[in-house]
Amino acid sequence: MASLKILAVDDSPTMRRIIVNTLKRAGYDDVTEASDGKDALAKMKVEQFNFVITDWNMPEMDGLTFVSQIRSLDEFKDLPILMVTTRSVKDDIIEAMKAGVNNYIVKPFTPETLGEKIGQVLKSVGRS
Amino acid sequence: MMDKSIRVDDSAKNIHAELRHLADSISQIIKGIRVAQEPIADSRNKVPQATEQLERVTQQTATATHRVLDMVEAITSREGEIETQMKELRRVLPSTYFRNNSRVKRIVERICVSASANQNDAYAIMDALQFQDITSQQVDHAISLLEQVENRLKDVMVGLQLDVGPENDVKRKERAYDPNANFSSNSSEQSEVDELLNNLTKEKQNN
Repeated sequence: MASLKILAVDDSPTMRRIIVNTLKRAGYDDVTEASDGKDALAKMKVEQFNFVITDWNMPEMDGLTFVSQIRSLDEFKDLPILMVTTRSVKDDIIEAMKAGVNNYIVKPFTPETLGEKIGQVLKSVGRS
Repeated sequence: MMDKSIRVDDSAKNIHAELRHLADSISQIIKGIRVAQEPIADSRNKVPQATEQLERVTQQTATATHRVLDMVEAITSREGEIETQMKELRRVLPSTYFRNNSRVKRIVERICVSASANQNDAYAIMDALQFQDITSQQVDHAISLLEQVENRLKDVMVGLQLDVGPENDVKRKERAYDPNANFSSNSSEQSEVDELLNNLTKEKQNN
């Protein structure tokens, strides 16, 4: 758990702060923040992360484009990605899964859900 | 011959009357447009004021939310400190103080329970502050709708050849929002998502 280096991508500073706090509470201390997909890609070029939590609706580059872009790169094809968004329409969820997210959380989320989903994603990629 | 001339004369009179009626109608329409010009222009000019006001609401709500988050972080940190101090107290006091149902033991336990409850409540406040992201998306959606109204009013003014005034040079903020964003603490929504994810995973495995 302690070795997990997480990149939290959300355009809302409030939401980023809540996610970082929730992750810390769950024992994940190493969290870097990015304000949109473009910012996240720039950070991924200089730092290595082994888990990404991303929002969908963001300016500059939205979460879906961001996920599609990182999945198109060999080095990130197995990177665990959890989408945390307000979008709860069935077609959106299907689209996100097709783009390559490993799991999906609808905002507002509970700390329990976030913890469970991180666990499920890590298990699904054989890192638990 | 004379009949024909009377008929032509009547027709000319009729056409003249029709044209006059048409001219009156056009004149009324023009008057109507002139009357409408002001409210249309006024409505169009008020849209930026309304969007600005809504943006202020979002900014002020965000500022207030961050202040609350500062407090919550301070509270949770202090509660953690209380827990540590209580452990220290248990360590430094003679063990006889904590024997069975001693008063000191009960007091320390009560303090620990209260500290833990306070911490959980503080975290619950933090979780509830997610409303700020969700309501700001709802506000952004409302602003986008207002901007559409503004553009349509401008189109109407251009169509009616009314003065649209100087163009606003302020670059509009790029908005990213979910038009259906909703602050609901209903866990059934996540359960439905989970069910769909399970079905998608099963389908993928079967293929």
